[in-house]
Amino acid sequence: MSYRQNEPPPFDKELAEQFERASDRFSELLPKLLPIGVALLVILWLASGIYSVNPGHVGVVRTLGKETARTEPGLNYRVPWPIQQVDVVSVEQIRRIEVGFREGKRVHEEALMLTGDENIVEAQIVVQYRVADPSKYLFRLRDPEAALRTATEVALRSTVGSMKIDQVMIEERAKVQDDARVFIQRLMDTYESGMIITEVKLQAADPPDAVRDAFHDVVRAREDKEKLINQAMGYQADILPKARGEAQKVLRESEGYKEKRVLLAQGEASRFLSVLAEYEKSREVTRDRLHLETMEKILPETDKVILDGDLGQRLLPLMQMGTPPVLPATLRTAIEPLKAN
Amino acid sequence: MRPNILIIALAGLVVTVAILKQVVIIVDESEQVIITKFGEYIRTVKEPGVAWKMPFLNTATRFDRRILVSDAPEAEYLSQDKKRLVADPVTRWRIVDPLKFFKTVRDESGARARLDDLVFSELRGEVASHDFVTVIGSKREAIMDTVASNVRTKASDFGIEVVDVRIKRADLPKEVQQSVFARMQAEREREAKRYRSEGEEEANKLRSQTDKERTIVLAQAEQDAQKFRGEGDATATRIYAEAYGKDPEFYRFVRSLQSYELFLGKRSTIMLSADSPLLRYLAGPQAEGAKPPGLDKSLPKVTMAAPTE
Repeated sequence: MSYRQNEPPPFDKELAEQFERASDRFSELLPKLLPIGVALLVILWLASGIYSVNPGHVGVVRTLGKETARTEPGLNYRVPWPIQQVDVVSVEQIRRIEVGFREGKRVHEEALMLTGDENIVEAQIVVQYRVADPSKYLFRLRDPEAALRTATEVALRSTVGSMKIDQVMIEERAKVQDDARVFIQRLMDTYESGMIITEVKLQAADPPDAVRDAFHDVVRAREDKEKLINQAMGYQADILPKARGEAQKVLRESEGYKEKRVLLAQGEASRFLSVLAEYEKSREVTRDRLHLETMEKILPETDKVILDGDLGQRLLPLMQMGTPPVLPATLRTAIEPLKAN
Repeated sequence: MRPNILIIALAGLVVTVAILKQVVIIVDESEQVIITKFGEYIRTVKEPGVAWKMPFLNTATRFDRRILVSDAPEAEYLSQDKKRLVADPVTRWRIVDPLKFFKTVRDESGARARLDDLVFSELRGEVASHDFVTVIGSKREAIMDTVASNVRTKASDFGIEVVDVRIKRADLPKEVQQSVFARMQAEREREAKRYRSEGEEEANKLRSQTDKERTIVLAQAEQDAQKFRGEGDATATRIYAEAYGKDPEFYRFVRSLQSYELFLGKRSTIMLSADSPLLRYLAGPQAEGAKPPGLDKSLPKVTMAAPTE
């Protein structure tokens, strides 16, 4: 602080003078500038009436509160507030709401509902819709999205409430969706929402957590049943062909036996007949020959006892052979297995 | 002098706007208006657009013309079969007579309170005359239609038109849910058991059927096999009989010789009489042509001496 306070620094005086001059000039200019300013404001106000409508959208124009026009996609103009107002609404975009879950997370109080057979099921549903009548959508129903959410809950619970749990979860899912869609549409028409429900998708219809395991066990049991039946079918497929094969084997064997028997018999018969034919020609010689040949074959192998005359008759009882066999007069041959005694 | 003109013009604009605001009412598409003069009803404007009123003397009160909602809080209801039900009714309504509405319930929150009361008592009555299951399922819509029409009649006194009444949620009370879960669990366990038993039943049926078929197939084969064997045996027997029948005695002779070959072996002892034809020439040569004794009498007979027991 090198200067005294009650003495303004010299350059301040200059500044004050400059300001004085500028303000004088401004006062002179003001009458000219004001109309320009006003005109600018008016132009800005008028320019704020330009708006664009994107493809697939409709502009709804209200003039002094009353709906007067619809505008097409492109650049459009309205007289700015407070004379005209415009609401741009998409009439093509498909929007969706979720009931029972939000962004993948379950909302239990929304999702749990009673079925017609007094079971509890957990359902999640997605409703897709678009705006068909922008006027109704804007001016006939307060908060159409909230109304749609409520209508969805009403419709879904009503539909599920009229079905059995198995129908909801498995057999009739498509019917749940269709019924709910029709119901929601009817409600939204009653509410003059101007909305069209394009699709209702039942995302999930599951048993509640508390009983989920029991439900899954039913599925497993059904698979077990199939497995048991398949195993039995496998047994059948294994056993029956084997049995048929075995039967064929038995049959073929017996057929073979039959053939063998016949052929053998035929062979032996023809052998016999051949020998017989020769035998007929010289009976005694052949007989002796056959007999002697056989003896030749047998006797070298066996022990032999040769008895003279009637000795045999006397000896035999002593040999504990019981009563002596009636020996043929011609061939006094006693045959006995020695070791038997 | 020019600034003065401008200031006057601006002042004029402000005054005009102020007067217009007092005279002109802009009624929106979603609104309806009643105009009163110090509390005294003048008229109702239901059409959107511009309406006029006396400046300063008249007052405009705006009401919604759209369909509005009243979501009553959850409450317990008792069904005819004495089951408790937690329900959450939602009423959709609109103001059709703003004057009546204004006089009786004043504003929307007043209306909602009255409507909720009406719905609660009507719904309580309806639920009490139906069984739980029908409230949940088949009769739900009919019940709600009845409730709506009763509420509609009563609410018309408030200048309100009830569009519909619906139950958003109809659930069992929390403490009852647990017993429902227990029942569901038991039902499913029973079902699972049934499936498994059915599986065993089917499997056993198939297996026993298979075993039966196998037995039959094999038995049939055995039957045919025995038939074939029998045929073979019969044919063979016939062939033998035909052949051997030509000279039964010779057959016996030949066959006996074959048998000797078979059953006389090292462990046999044969006692031969010295005068047997076989050994006839052992003692000494005799005249040729001499017949062995007995040979002419009969054919040789071989008798096996079977050991006595």
